Amino acid sequence: MQIAISGGKGGTGKSTVAINVAVELAKKFRLVLADLDVEAPNDHLLLGVELQNEREVNQFMPKFDYSKCIKCRKCAEVCEEHAIITLKDGTPFLMPTLCSGCRACEIVCPVPGAIQEGSRLIGHTYVTPTPYNFILVTGKLREGEERSMPLVVAAKRRAKEIEKELLIVDTAAGTGNTVSKAIEGSQLLIAVTEPTPLGIHDTELILQLGKLMGIETWVVVNRADLGDVGEVRKRAEKYGARIIAEIPYSENIVKTYVSGRPIVTTDYPEAEIFRKIADEIYRFLRG
Amino acid sequence: MQIVIASGKGGVGKSSVTASLLYLLKDEYKLIAVDADAEAPNLGLLLGVTEWEEEREHIGAKIARINTETCIRCGICMQRCPYECIYIDDEGNYVVNELTCEGCNVCGLVCPVPGTITLEQVRSGVIRKATTKYGFPIISAQLDVGRPESGKLVTEEKEWAKQIMKELNLEHMIVDSAAGIGCQVIASVGGADVAILIAEPTPASLSDVQRVYKVVQHFHEPAYLIINKADINPGFTKLREWAESEGIPILGEIPYDSSIPKSMSMLKPFVEAFPESKASLAIREIAEKIKEEVIQ
Repeated sequence: MQIAISGGKGGTGKSTVAINVAVELAKKFRLVLADLDVEAPNDHLLLGVELQNEREVNQFMPKFDYSKCIKCRKCAEVCEEHAIITLKDGTPFLMPTLCSGCRACEIVCPVPGAIQEGSRLIGHTYVTPTPYNFILVTGKLREGEERSMPLVVAAKRRAKEIEKELLIVDTAAGTGNTVSKAIEGSQLLIAVTEPTPLGIHDTELILQLGKLMGIETWVVVNRADLGDVGEVRKRAEKYGARIIAEIPYSENIVKTYVSGRPIVTTDYPEAEIFRKIADEIYRFLRG
Repeated sequence: MQIVIASGKGGVGKSSVTASLLYLLKDEYKLIAVDADAEAPNLGLLLGVTEWEEEREHIGAKIARINTETCIRCGICMQRCPYECIYIDDEGNYVVNELTCEGCNVCGLVCPVPGTITLEQVRSGVIRKATTKYGFPIISAQLDVGRPESGKLVTEEKEWAKQIMKELNLEHMIVDSAAGIGCQVIASVGGADVAILIAEPTPASLSDVQRVYKVVQHFHEPAYLIINKADINPGFTKLREWAESEGIPILGEIPYDSSIPKSMSMLKPFVEAFPESKASLAIREIAEKIKEEVIQ
């Protein structure tokens, strides 16, 4: 089973919801939480743990053997990223930062061995035990690397290797294809939003994505007292999504957020809201 | 001059601060605003833009499609797709998931039946232009849901902004970048003269702003820092210490102020909606510093 926590806009509280729901659901399931916000992974900070078990994510990069290259230019022609340029005589050169590692050049090259296996480190994945009886998998893109897709794929793959009953994925902000890659395979999508016009605008996009992917979608309204929840409700209804919780702006949440302690492990009254969200998810998964 | 505003982490107040800075700088300078958060563009909303004057479709993304009539179901495409975007549907057909495809065409190259897999150009999004009620223009990009290449959309967007700057004889481009450190942010930061980083005093925001700072360093751009929601986490001194150790000048601190979320609901820069609020007083000082130290 897999569920996804997403939200369109950045900073709406995706990770807060993800870690708290994970702590609660770990009491019922053997669970893995995957932080797939590979450009800005923060779940480990919110859980107060240090990333462990680092594994490199390397990407293929063509290495030209110029003694074999026949300068046919096929590699450059086929490169959708225009990462390979050729000189007048056809000699190919790679612009490494543009290369996506897809191997199209290697596939079309007519001379065996003319394109050799090179690689570039583009980031890391981590598998970190938490004190809350679940495992955190984190993908982290290297600074300066443009493509988050390979890291999302690698981190999700590593999360899937672990024996478990439930995978919770925490996605990046936005609604591009890396977010859909993270969500892919989920039975349930939880969109965390805030009721400001900005939050509502972005929620509409994530609801659209949920609909396109054919995934049951719920909405959690964070900082619900800062705006008009009625407007969120309208959008949610339009996409057949249900609002399952409203979380008020709370200094207790901020306090626990910055101290690396999930609020569900405290006695603060707000903890109950997250427990209820976890209960709803539990009932859904147990169907 | 091109100034990029970045934060790494989402939700630290990048767009709110940008909108207010634009408001404070607009009388003295000829500006253009660029909302480069193509997956969640919000700056236009904060500046009260309700109608766009011009919209350009961006046809740039490529998506592979498999012709089920000629497909021999050998499965090679599925094995070779680097991003695991090909699946078998209920009827046993090999299908490309259009919401995750990166458009690399590897499936098309390995397919043994010519013409079965084609790479089709699709719309990746739109770029829009409006003139704000404050007089300066804004350009905003919107990636279509599930599409790749938001970075290319941002690059295109900045090209258009440059054109407008020439036509209207504008002096400065203020770019509000996306969260993260990926292609959109690299496209936003690349080519800028100066970066203004915005962070809040939390471990998560510190971690993310450190990451985006590395991207800024890569382009050898001078950076400045604004600390937002400066008082939400008393005792957290690491953000300030980091900036000082890196030699990043701190332009100022903005306290947490409920007038900011309220102004967001009013779709106005907070300095316009609540000019006497604590946050507004702070950003006025910051704007003065930007005039003196950054723009000169």
